[in-house]
Amino acid sequence: MKMADGSTILRRNRPGTKAKMFNGWPDEPFEEMDSTLAVQQYIQQQIRKEPANIEIILTPPDGQDEGVWKYEHLRQFCMELNGLAVRLQGECHPETCTQMTATEQWIFLCAAHKTPKECPAIDYTRHTLDGAACLLNSNKYFPSRVSIKDSSVTKLGSVCRRVYRIFSHAYFHHRNIFDEFENETYLCRRFTQFITKYNLMSRDNLIVPIVEGDTPGSGESEA
Amino acid sequence: MEETSPSANLNGQIGPSGGGVNSGIKQSEEQGQRLHYSIPGILHFIQHEWARFEMERSQWEVDRAELQARIAFLQGERKGQEKLKDDLVRRIKMLEYALKQERAKFHKLKYGTDLVQGDMRPPVFEEGGPEVPADAEQPFSSVSNFTWKQGRQMLRQYLQEIGYTDTIIDVRSNRVRTLLGLNNNEETGGVNGNETGTNKRASSEGQGGGRRTPAKKPPQNQSGSTGPSSFTEAMLMDTEAAVIANFEFFATQAAVAAAAGDDVGDEMDDEDDLQDDSDEIHDQTIRKNPNSLMALGLGTLGDPDDVDAEAEEVLNELNLLTQSEGAGTAPQGEQPNWSGGVYPGGDEAAKREGETIDSTLGLGELAQLTVNNEAEASYDLPTTTKESLRKTWTAKYTLRSHFDGVRALAFHPVEPVLITASEDHTLKLWNLQKTVPAKKSTSLDVEPLYTFRGHSGPVLCLTMNASGDQTYSAGTDGIINCWNLPPVNIDPYDSFESSVLKSRLVGHTDAVWDLATPTDLGYLQQILSCSADGTLKVWSPGAKAELLHTYSSEQDGIPTSCDYAGTDKMVAAFTSGHSILFDLETGKPVTRLESSQDIIGNEIGRHIYKTVSHPLLPVTVTAHEDRHIRFFDNNTGKMIHSMVAHLDAVTSLSVDPHGLYLLSGSHDCSIRLWNLDSKTCVQEITAHRKKFDESILDCLYRAPMKTNPL
Repeated sequence: MKMADGSTILRRNRPGTKAKMFNGWPDEPFEEMDSTLAVQQYIQQQIRKEPANIEIILTPPDGQDEGVWKYEHLRQFCMELNGLAVRLQGECHPETCTQMTATEQWIFLCAAHKTPKECPAIDYTRHTLDGAACLLNSNKYFPSRVSIKDSSVTKLGSVCRRVYRIFSHAYFHHRNIFDEFENETYLCRRFTQFITKYNLMSRDNLIVPIVEGDTPGSGESEA
Repeated sequence: MEETSPSANLNGQIGPSGGGVNSGIKQSEEQGQRLHYSIPGILHFIQHEWARFEMERSQWEVDRAELQARIAFLQGERKGQEKLKDDLVRRIKMLEYALKQERAKFHKLKYGTDLVQGDMRPPVFEEGGPEVPADAEQPFSSVSNFTWKQGRQMLRQYLQEIGYTDTIIDVRSNRVRTLLGLNNNEETGGVNGNETGTNKRASSEGQGGGRRTPAKKPPQNQSGSTGPSSFTEAMLMDTEAAVIANFEFFATQAAVAAAAGDDVGDEMDDEDDLQDDSDEIHDQTIRKNPNSLMALGLGTLGDPDDVDAEAEEVLNELNLLTQSEGAGTAPQGEQPNWSGGVYPGGDEAAKREGETIDSTLGLGELAQLTVNNEAEASYDLPTTTKESLRKTWTAKYTLRSHFDGVRALAFHPVEPVLITASEDHTLKLWNLQKTVPAKKSTSLDVEPLYTFRGHSGPVLCLTMNASGDQTYSAGTDGIINCWNLPPVNIDPYDSFESSVLKSRLVGHTDAVWDLATPTDLGYLQQILSCSADGTLKVWSPGAKAELLHTYSSEQDGIPTSCDYAGTDKMVAAFTSGHSILFDLETGKPVTRLESSQDIIGNEIGRHIYKTVSHPLLPVTVTAHEDRHIRFFDNNTGKMIHSMVAHLDAVTSLSVDPHGLYLLSGSHDCSIRLWNLDSKTCVQEITAHRKKFDESILDCLYRAPMKTNPL
């Protein structure tokens, strides 16, 4: 925590900051955030404070526009999923996981191509995250981070559905990586609860069993 | 009836049908001898004849109208030809005038005397010329000197002299400009050393000019001492040798170049401008000349301003005007301060430009990137009397795809490729030639071609080696990743290639905040890193022992930024607010660059965000939290200059490869471009927004593109 002249707090990661102290500034109340990125700042601040407390992380500040809230959360999910993708890169090889599967029921086709095709799991993961990054940053659908058109909010559902498959593949095929990652970030739990709360996917598709009691909706997601 | 007969007679007399009339009359006479004339018969005959004549008359009138139309057409054609001719003559005049001026200027600069060469008045064009009626005898009286044929001959000659093509014209004009920069530099000496009235040909004097060079430097030093002295002197000393070495080359070029005419190519394009203000020929040409100093300023926090709404970063293509060129054509006497300080550097740059001309020419596509041509009224440098025109920066590309702030940037030295590193744990590769037209915005959107995933935390720094085949990135996870560059035309959704991540350098125990690679191609396999664990390390990726050296400074704390200073030294900034110059071989500190004496406020205030070395001079530039940019002499350790550069902490610096301009970014959301000689701000752009209290985290000066050496 670095204090500038006087009492104002400058929330900055100066070069030389220790990794532990990265973003390690005192919390800023949401009301005082005057930036257009306030929602992202707020979400990241809450996650950093207590990653396990999903309830608080998913509780929007008063008067927050729901579309923006969902959008910013989904951005955060895709961003953190990079971490899972990095870990999967080490183990999930195209030779071993030739198809994107979770249970034996479905083979997922990669939608990043002109004609959807059966990418190996690691490519599916990368392409899905890249595609999500392009869509969520698209000037056409999401030109502003302060207000979002209703027509664009409906796009979020399909992003969620595809992104969720990364969790399910990791869970069913790379359980050790999944557990390690989940224990650190609580990301799948948070994502499941997020989906349930805002009804972004059908519950039948939530196939990763999540520990009971964490979230009210998670028990039903077992399928 | 009374009317018809005269008209019929008239017609009969002049028309071809006269014979018919006569024969008809004869017939009727014969009939009259045989038959009795009846009144109805006569009437019938007369009516018949009248009808015939009427028909012939109308036919004849149609013919006449046709011929008149043809006459009008031919007259129009003639008018058009005359206009064309007029236009061409005007061009010839203009070219000739420009050539004369160039000759005179060259002569003046070279010998310090006015060349006596006939009529030096700008050509006068009378606008009335083309409006003279087509049948007037002398529509071209205003351009009396040249007849059409002569003019054509001249034009052809000129074109032959300058070699027909625009590209060659560009090359030559550039060369001439560099030459003029040089000659300008020496003008003081030229006046002193040369008697007035020498009127020899330029080519014969080339050698003499070369020899005179060293003698001329001292007077310049004196006149330059009013400027930022020690810095410029150092610059001068350093570049002098190079300048002398290169002078002969330019001198021998002189004859050709002077004959070719500096501005010919430009003027052909901008004829109308010239006509209006022929006095400002040079301003014009400077402005229009596709300047090879192209800068890319790059702001980075992932979050630009509201207009651009939700971008992750904005990349600005900046097309700059080099003042050195503007000044280079201005008479030296008017600007004493420039004579010492600017020109040596300018020459260096000019020289390099000259060297790279051929390659920049191959770069048609880049030339298209010119942002806009709105020239603002004036850019006032206190010492220049001539107005230099400047272009304003506008955002060229918006690169959206990162989920969080962008921490660092790297340009490929050859390809139009940019790599960005973000706090979202990824790096992305962008091909700036693959653009997507953006909606309702002047800037273009670019989509990323490749996403580098390998870090498990925010990526903080990024650098590319001088050949562009290796990229190094590091972040809070303390690991340095070495990446092979994927093909620049890769399909964004290609399959996973594990060889892209070449190797990882593990050794730092805390966040790595800065990386640097030597600019020297002989040291491709070296990389310098500085980390929050308090150490700086030099690595040789791929070697058996990858870690070569570790450096630290107990008394100064944690290094915040580092850069190579040449190939044998490095400069590192520490949390103490000082920079230290290390010898890479011995690991010993060579010089301490202390800035404490004038820093106000506490320790935070003197925090150094970035330190960079001047590419040509032993000078270090540092960016501070207290809004200052400071300049240090590497040899003495003394501070040369200090300036308040922004409204908030200065976070990033980048010096252009020619050493003339400095680009700085700040948490005040702006990027500024500084002229290193006058230390004045030349350009500014504000295109980013804040996240918490951070805004622009990195900016980079894009050197003129070079094409691949084939």
